[in-house]
Amino acid sequence: MIKYHPDNAFLQSFATGDLPASLAAAASIHCEMCSSCAQTVQSYTKQAATDGFSALDSRTENAEACSYRSMSSMDAMIEQITKDEEQDMASENQSKTIQVQGKQFELPRALVNIPLGKWSSLGRLSRSRLGMNDGDIRASLLLMEADGGVPEHTHKGFELTLILEGHFKDEFDDYGPGDFLMLDSNHTHNPQTDTGCLCYTVSNDAQHFTKGFNRLVNPLGYFIY
Amino acid sequence: MHAERAIRLPKAGHPIKFNRMSDDPCKTELASWLELVGIERDKSAFTDLFRYFAPRIYHISLSKFGSETLANDVVQETMTNIWRKAHLFDSAKGQATTWVYTIMRNVSFDMLRRISANKEDNLSDDLWGHIDNAEEDSSLEPFRDHLADRELQNGIDNLPDDQKQVVESMFYQDLSQSQIAEKLGIPLGTVKSRLRLAMTKLKHHIGEKHD
Repeated sequence: MIKYHPDNAFLQSFATGDLPASLAAAASIHCEMCSSCAQTVQSYTKQAATDGFSALDSRTENAEACSYRSMSSMDAMIEQITKDEEQDMASENQSKTIQVQGKQFELPRALVNIPLGKWSSLGRLSRSRLGMNDGDIRASLLLMEADGGVPEHTHKGFELTLILEGHFKDEFDDYGPGDFLMLDSNHTHNPQTDTGCLCYTVSNDAQHFTKGFNRLVNPLGYFIY
Repeated sequence: MHAERAIRLPKAGHPIKFNRMSDDPCKTELASWLELVGIERDKSAFTDLFRYFAPRIYHISLSKFGSETLANDVVQETMTNIWRKAHLFDSAKGQATTWVYTIMRNVSFDMLRRISANKEDNLSDDLWGHIDNAEEDSSLEPFRDHLADRELQNGIDNLPDDQKQVVESMFYQDLSQSQIAEKLGIPLGTVKSRLRLAMTKLKHHIGEKHD
């Protein structure tokens, strides 16, 4: 059972297309696993459509009827569009399976067409950077193998972790497929997994390790997220 | 007042197919235009859609992008997609405005990605496809009204698979307990105990949300 969901503001921004691609992908993946959040997104979409396409008030309508385009250029655009005889086919359900450390995973729909970077491994962690090209925001697939974990750390920016398969736990709770965790610099945690776990992660800054030896290897933060 | 009247005049040279009192068509009218475009490639229905949606799309895009050129591009690309995809619109699944909105949103998203990330991946379909088409699945379920309550559906979704199977057989397929036992090849007693467990969980789930 999914315990952690994106908040409504996040779902609303997703519905209106206002999230950066990496975060929109996180919302999309979560909704693929959570019918309740998918319905919430549908409601926000419907709401945005109703608000956006409601009657233009007369002043806007008038100003834009003048500045927008003359009727003749509108007709030209209509003419040009309707000359095209083609119809688009419904998009098919693509799927993509990946293999990491001898295990197979089916990728969520949102990631099927995103290029995956080379997997690099460190101990029981493997990471592949996703080619989202999303500015400062980095998205990755992170595999924690059974009995592995991430050293205790905090985050300078935000760190979003969405579990695709498997479970992990930290000092607060345990988490399973679909759980959506948005953490910031107020959170320090130390995820551990008994069974192995594949996550989709998004971060806008490196992790910052807080304890002992790991504090000396803070550059590791850049490796993981 | 004067200005408002001026733009509400019927447009010359365009046959009025529906008995319209104003330029503010009702929802079923928008849907029927989409259907005419989809099925009959009807250009005058498309013109009606264009005159209704294009200024609105322009308005929304202008405030989003702050650029007249981009706003025009969004209008052109969205209206083109409407022309090419109208046959995929299904009025049983949702409103015409919502359908047009999702097309506009996807066009804007992909356009921004082309500009800022230099990516031609048209990601929007992968991101929203499964949500925009989701109504199709739920409308196929018989007895949907009994289960309209989202919490209840939610509760059922979260049951362990063996209990879920029993509950769904009962709600959706309207099978008796002994029919369920036969279908699943399990003893009647097991069906009863799974149902009892499931009901306790559902009550707990719903009770929890309403407390």
